[in-house]
Amino acid sequence: MDAVTLREEIERIDTLPTIPSILQKLLKVIGNPKVPLSEISDCILGDPALTSRVLKMVNSPIYGFPGRISSVTQALILLGLNVVRGMLLGVSVFEAMEKAMVGLWKHSLGCAVTARIIAKKKNLREPEEISVAALLHDIGKVVLSLKFPKEYKKARADTEQQGLFIFEAEKNHFNITHADAGAWIAQRWNFPKNLIETIKYHHKPHLSKYFPVEAATVHLSDILVRAIGFGFAGDNFVPPINPSAWEILKMNNSTIKEILKEMEESLEEAEDILVIPNE
Amino acid sequence: MPRVPVDKLKPGMKLAKPVTNPSGMTLLGEGTELTDELIERLNNMNITSVHIEGASKPQKPKEELLAELDARFEKTKDKPYMSTLKKLVREHIEDLYK
Repeated sequence: MDAVTLREEIERIDTLPTIPSILQKLLKVIGNPKVPLSEISDCILGDPALTSRVLKMVNSPIYGFPGRISSVTQALILLGLNVVRGMLLGVSVFEAMEKAMVGLWKHSLGCAVTARIIAKKKNLREPEEISVAALLHDIGKVVLSLKFPKEYKKARADTEQQGLFIFEAEKNHFNITHADAGAWIAQRWNFPKNLIETIKYHHKPHLSKYFPVEAATVHLSDILVRAIGFGFAGDNFVPPINPSAWEILKMNNSTIKEILKEMEESLEEAEDILVIPNE
Repeated sequence: MPRVPVDKLKPGMKLAKPVTNPSGMTLLGEGTELTDELIERLNNMNITSVHIEGASKPQKPKEELLAELDARFEKTKDKPYMSTLKKLVREHIEDLYK
């Protein structure tokens, strides 16, 4: 399959019959950047399970308001439309995968927590937006797996049998990687430019034209989360850090150690999001 | 901090972390000492486990964690900054066992 056809296939993901109707409805709403807040909150509130997941998420260490947000409306006002749209996409798409990709969900939550820690340390603007970009950086893996389940399973098997990184195995099977697929879908759903670029360049932050700091933050989060072995991103190896990311973020040994320490505390709390509440 | 299932809780245990409802709102604060009544209430709230101060940590032995760390870095240990990063994570793991 050539890249153009592949892209078209991926962009039609929301018409897949295997996607739950609530997700289809939600995708329609969040795909429209001009959608009024009230419509999003109505959509969330129409589903009690989704409401409780959203509240759990916004009260987690991924965002800066632990235990303080009690309503969906309040969450929308405090976090802003882009962050909530991104979070909804993450929650709903990963939920659609159910148990099949729980390791990836855990990896993504870990990255969201870590990106926030780095963003805070480096005094970056909009830590919530960077955190959402980290949450969604691997969305392409879910999309590929939803759209081409058999082929993606083979790619995953290759990582073990041939000792490959998941992006190498994806390249062999699809000629593209999850970073491309993720950026296409983010574009299709009208996500803001910073999000699209960060997803696209989370393995090559030096190529990001407008958001190299954001891309470097997500890149480093990805590597740190894999380095400590939290979650499962598709293979068992830590990918190489792009040296420019270290330099863009002006990292040094003592800062890394501080970040690792803070991760230890927050990751455990973030794990609670994976526990599906009894409804 | 270790999680203890609600059916294994005993009065006198102290919460190492706040207990929150599914929406993340705090129900019981950190440091709360559990009583029979509170344990009963946790049971009724569909909460499965809570963090307790000082309970023994059900963790893998340090050697196992360090062996897994070696395996994860196998493909990239010679790349720029990767040996530094690995060393820092190793030190971090060792600190957890102090």
